[in-house]
Amino acid sequence: MIGVWGKIFINAAFVCSILAAVGYFLYSRNDQNRYFRASNWLFGLQGLFLIIASGLLVYIILTHQFNYYYVFNYTSSDLQLKYLVAAFWGGQEGSFMLWILFSFLIGCGLMKWTRKPYRGPVLLFLTLTQVFLFSMIAGIHIGDVAIGASPFRTIAEAMPNAPFIQANPDFVPTDGKGLNDLLKSPWMVIHPPILFIGFAMMTVPYCFAMAALWKEKYNEWIHPALPWTLGANVALLTAIFLGGYWAYVTLSFGGYWAWDPVENASLVPWLLGTAGIHTMIIQKKSSTSQKASIVFALLAYVAVVYETFLTRSGILEDASVHSFVDLGLYTQLVIFMVVMTGICLAMFAWRYKRLPSQQRESKLLSREFMTFAGAMILFLLALIITLGTSSPIIGRLFTANPTPPEISFYNDWTLPLAIIAAFFTVIGQYLFWRKQDAESLAQDLLLPVALTCVATLATIMIAEVYDLYSMVFMLAGWFAVIGNGVIMIRLMFKNPMLIGGSLTHVGFGLLLLGILASSLYNSNLLDEATQTYNAAVEQGEMTDSEGLPVRQKANFMQLKLNEPKVVNDRYLFTYEGYTLEDQERPGQQEYRIRIESLDGSGSTYLYPQVYPLSAASPGGAVQWSVDPDVKTGLTSDLYLYVAGSSYVERRNEQIEEQKKAGQQTAATPDTTKGQELALEEGEQIRVGGFDISLESFNQTSTEGLPDSTMIAVRARINVRHQASGDAQTLRPLFAIYTNQGKSWSYSPPQKLQGYDVSFRFTNIDPQTGEVTLEVEGIDETYKEEWVLVVAEEKPFISVVWLGTFVLMIGFSISIFRHWNRERRKE
Amino acid sequence: MKPKVIIGIIAIIGFTTLLMVNFSNSISTYTNFAEAENRKSAHVVGKWEDSKAYGFSVEDKQFTFFMEDEAGNVRKVIYPKPKPNNFEQAEKLVVIGNMENGVFYANDMLMKCPSKYNATGEEAQFKPAEAEKS
Repeated sequence: MIGVWGKIFINAAFVCSILAAVGYFLYSRNDQNRYFRASNWLFGLQGLFLIIASGLLVYIILTHQFNYYYVFNYTSSDLQLKYLVAAFWGGQEGSFMLWILFSFLIGCGLMKWTRKPYRGPVLLFLTLTQVFLFSMIAGIHIGDVAIGASPFRTIAEAMPNAPFIQANPDFVPTDGKGLNDLLKSPWMVIHPPILFIGFAMMTVPYCFAMAALWKEKYNEWIHPALPWTLGANVALLTAIFLGGYWAYVTLSFGGYWAWDPVENASLVPWLLGTAGIHTMIIQKKSSTSQKASIVFALLAYVAVVYETFLTRSGILEDASVHSFVDLGLYTQLVIFMVVMTGICLAMFAWRYKRLPSQQRESKLLSREFMTFAGAMILFLLALIITLGTSSPIIGRLFTANPTPPEISFYNDWTLPLAIIAAFFTVIGQYLFWRKQDAESLAQDLLLPVALTCVATLATIMIAEVYDLYSMVFMLAGWFAVIGNGVIMIRLMFKNPMLIGGSLTHVGFGLLLLGILASSLYNSNLLDEATQTYNAAVEQGEMTDSEGLPVRQKANFMQLKLNEPKVVNDRYLFTYEGYTLEDQERPGQQEYRIRIESLDGSGSTYLYPQVYPLSAASPGGAVQWSVDPDVKTGLTSDLYLYVAGSSYVERRNEQIEEQKKAGQQTAATPDTTKGQELALEEGEQIRVGGFDISLESFNQTSTEGLPDSTMIAVRARINVRHQASGDAQTLRPLFAIYTNQGKSWSYSPPQKLQGYDVSFRFTNIDPQTGEVTLEVEGIDETYKEEWVLVVAEEKPFISVVWLGTFVLMIGFSISIFRHWNRERRKE
Repeated sequence: MKPKVIIGIIAIIGFTTLLMVNFSNSISTYTNFAEAENRKSAHVVGKWEDSKAYGFSVEDKQFTFFMEDEAGNVRKVIYPKPKPNNFEQAEKLVVIGNMENGVFYANDMLMKCPSKYNATGEEAQFKPAEAEKS
């Protein structure tokens, strides 16, 4: 029933948004306030319905109504509250809803703050984007054509052909499939909402640009649009940062950026938005670049739509680790993209001739030229990244089954451009605050150039950087930091609100230095044996056991339990065991690796994890996933994950055996005899990876035993698995009873929980008080406990984060400045 | 035409050409072992050939297995890392590397596992609630 209401509310909101769009269109044409008022009501109503529908979706998620496909597919009854809430945006349908929700809130702001003549068209285009987004979740069927996939679909509607649905249409699963384990991270709660705030805000400059084209007012729109664009930028940057950090600490690819299509999807709109910010600022200062501002504002949104298409249409399914799967929205997404781009192109072409163009050309050494050049570099970066991301489509020009480009393609093209941009930022900033000719500029630049040279030379000497490219890269980074830093300090004395721009560019410089340092000095931590092995591989001297030459170096090493190993001549690594944890992820092991500095500066622990994915494939096989641990430091991070362990191997063997044994498990004959252990009270022995100690043995009541029982004794033994530290106390029984004049002993086996091990108490020596235990399932030879670890030292990642934070702060200061100025006008 | 415009056009064409040439070189195509012989680097798609011996050797620090590509060629693959944890479950493998003496040296390996999103896998996972309890 709730589902029906949910669908009704979504579609009511859908209809309201269409009507509101029509109303805003009429208002934009006729300028009659009654249309505006009516549309605002419709817009508000649409928001109200959407909020109710969202509430219903949250309700069915929280109450575990698994007859709904969305609830079944993304949640399970054991999911923690925070992940239940996060499941709202865990799937495509819900994330579209969240997107519209933010878009609605932004629309309310625009309604309040936007002035004539822009407000009609701005709201029209905003509502139009919402109409398209609503169509993705409408779930209307007209004949064979389905429009959108409703989050309130029932399982029967989602999979009408499934055999169990045909057998029983009212079938309700007992539990859901749960949230993907990779998404069970606190970052999941915060990263997607911020990303959608960014996407929703990036719509605003697009709306203003379209309004400017419609109303042919090409100058004033940037004043209200600029703070919104800056806001969108901060939101996207925060989302990109959170995504990068999330990937770094929970995925095993070992970095913060992998040029994954989904990462690129948020970066490209950010780059275009930033380009737009640059041209808007020049336009504000000197009334040029009107065309460029409009083009970038439009492109930034088109990029959002295009990237939405790429990540949600299933076209990247092979290329990305985390794109969505096609929900049958492919055609709709194509229409969305084509219509949006088409409207932009049509509007632009229609007005093209009447757009103001620049009368005289800017000089090379002018703030206009420099800032515009910055925007163009950002645009080129966006273009290159879009090209790479589109390889499944554009790659077909060159080859039949294109793969994604190599990482080096992105690095080779974007980094040199970033280096050029770094030099431009300083010159641009010096020209921005004062009109200068070449001579005065040179004079002004003397100080930062000198400082940069000192800093660069010092770094080159200390860090022993000898290749030319890295040197230039470093020079660019330092120049951007120092040059912009000098300006910032000067501005700070004049008016602290003005430092937004220079601070942002300092952040950019820091980011470059961080990227350089972290990629240059990223080193694998290996023990001596592995290093020797790698040296031999490099010489081409290594052959494997079959005589084949070995070509590839190893990046991992084996650590045995409690056997310290010297690593890179600087650390001592010790594997100290694991604990089994059953909280968030059942069956998760947390390994304990102790890392000691050989120079005596202390030690630290890392706790990497391995866990089975809950979405196990049919047949009971387990897929293991790893979660690295990172020890963050000011100058260097230690990064480590477990690539394999004796525990995982044992578990896999057990599962394999269970599978083989199949039905006959119950009937295994008990023929194997275990080993006998003799223990005195208080004695402890180590057998096959276990510590076994006899605490005590006491006579116990004979209740529940045969009447003829003469004596019953229970021992209290403590068993501890060395690697996991798992300790259990067992109380095996030893009883003697008489039957037909003879005495018999009775010693039932007691199982050790979680292991294939059992204990029997078989005898007591009355003289010595020694107890005999028969143990089954423990090998007499000690089974080695080991882990394979991949450890890396990653210096200066902190500088990457620092650069990102400085960028965010710089942009935020600019938002306040431009927003306050805009408010004061009223 | 002004010389500036001509220089601009040449620069744009030059940049675009260079970019596209570099792009076309950096993308590869999904191929098979036979064709990989002639390439410096190849992405080969295939399935694990589970009837032959496979495994990770701690001494050799590598994981070896046999893979059957989509054209039916079976080749030995050497992967210089521990066995990926979900290797056996993968229904499709993509190995990225190069052929040498009939052996494929993979630098990277992608596994396509039966996805929980995949429609067929989804239905296979479903069991009526009663059956699950028994």
